Amino acid sequence: MNADVKPRTPPKPNVYVDTAPFWDAAQKRKLVIQYCRDAGKFQHYPRPVSIYTGKRNLEWREVSGKGVIYTYTTIRIPGPGLDGRLPLPAATIELDEGARFIANIIDTDPAKIKIGARVEVAWDRITDDFVYPAFKVIEG
Amino acid sequence: MSKSDMVIAGYSETPVVFKSGRSAYDFAGEALASLIEATGIEKDIIDGMSVTVPLSEASNPFFAVYMADALGISPTWLNYGGIGGCSATGGVARAMSAIRDGYCEVAVVLSADAPSTSWRANYGAFRGEFQDPVGVQGPPAMFGLLMNRYAHQYGLKDEALAKIATVQREHALLNDNALEKFKKPMTTADYMASRVVADPLRMLDSVMFCDGANAFLVMTQERAQQLGIKKTVRPAAYAELTNVNGNVACPDITETGFSHIGPKVFAKAGLKPSDISMFQPYDDFTIAVLMQFEDFGFCKRGEGSDFILANDISYKGNIPLNTGGGQISAGQPGLASGGLNLAEAVRQLFGEGGKRQVKAPKNALVTGIGVIPYGRNWGTSAAMILEA
Repeated sequence: MNADVKPRTPPKPNVYVDTAPFWDAAQKRKLVIQYCRDAGKFQHYPRPVSIYTGKRNLEWREVSGKGVIYTYTTIRIPGPGLDGRLPLPAATIELDEGARFIANIIDTDPAKIKIGARVEVAWDRITDDFVYPAFKVIEG
Repeated sequence: MSKSDMVIAGYSETPVVFKSGRSAYDFAGEALASLIEATGIEKDIIDGMSVTVPLSEASNPFFAVYMADALGISPTWLNYGGIGGCSATGGVARAMSAIRDGYCEVAVVLSADAPSTSWRANYGAFRGEFQDPVGVQGPPAMFGLLMNRYAHQYGLKDEALAKIATVQREHALLNDNALEKFKKPMTTADYMASRVVADPLRMLDSVMFCDGANAFLVMTQERAQQLGIKKTVRPAAYAELTNVNGNVACPDITETGFSHIGPKVFAKAGLKPSDISMFQPYDDFTIAVLMQFEDFGFCKRGEGSDFILANDISYKGNIPLNTGGGQISAGQPGLASGGLNLAEAVRQLFGEGGKRQVKAPKNALVTGIGVIPYGRNWGTSAAMILEA
């Protein structure tokens, strides 16, 4: 890790919907996302209703954390919390379960960051006691 | 179908300025005073008003009411437009509906913003938890993601994006209202050497937030005649779509709202892409312009690069593009941005294009884009066809 990276501020849960289950699971290095029991489909980011039905018959369900890179970029412009982190690889990940994440790619040779590359969840330690979901490229 | 008798009977636009030190109210006042001068109307006949939510005053939920007070206008219909760069064309469309329903007779559609002087917006929602910590904090990163996906599916030529940027710059050199900083020529080599901000997006693919305002007067053709207003244009068709594929978790992000509303506006206006005299698309980033050429059927999906390279997109060309320089080269006046493309369309159809006048235009296609959502392309897409 880059020595210049300053500890970041953990996000505040429950600002707009109840996201505490997501962050509690994340701290145990489990990835849980919203699942619509009626449609039998996942969704992310967390919503106040199912985007499929408009109902609130939702639950948090653990997913494999595996997927592919749908698209990617490298952020080269400064912003809050980005001191010492640039250039910063970011990607849209498509999970095998059928939901997308915007996330950083960590612990990966930049040359391996390509559309279609297999990834799995990796936990980015942003303070001494808080991990944030990121992804890393895996073989096959 | 019967033709609408509703018209845009006047427009005004302030110069685009960076860090002006002025407020959205002050810019709005300048735009209103210019509009009154240009059309010769009395202020007090304005009984309808649509105001765009500005970044610089977004913390005031009563901005539109304050604006009416500041301008001394007492509207019987007031709309506060929160669809960003679609708020100008969307405001005109909503004003037409309000006039048809009898809520008002003469509406002003006013967009003013000064985010390079004062930024008072907070998007809130999911962003603090799920987007900002990743560093995807604004449109450039999201457009970097979109460009790489587009390039993966269809191929994307830097030369085509460079052509959009350089031709629009040539147009800005002929536009007195364009940002002073951008009034210097740009070459393809300048574009290629431009700093990458979010791969593969370059600085010269992008807009810069500035300050400015624009205003449009909407009424029936009959009322315009009564008022002795000679120059009018007719909005022949309008359509908008927010949150395309909103009930899909993994949509194709190269499919935008424009691919849905493009066919609708052409059908309503009874026109096809080859009938269009000029294209004034919302241009926050060059890729958005390229994708709109495809979505409106000027070429097929994926053929945007080759279409741009094969056609003359200058004001003298077969499909004139953003003849005032667009936002990329005239400067983006915050969320008054959509009115910049609309003002240029009306100006050209009024025959007031000056050194960049399109020859005998019959019509114009104008679009808007509003907000960049999580992992998609953009929030709202709006399109309007104007006829001379």
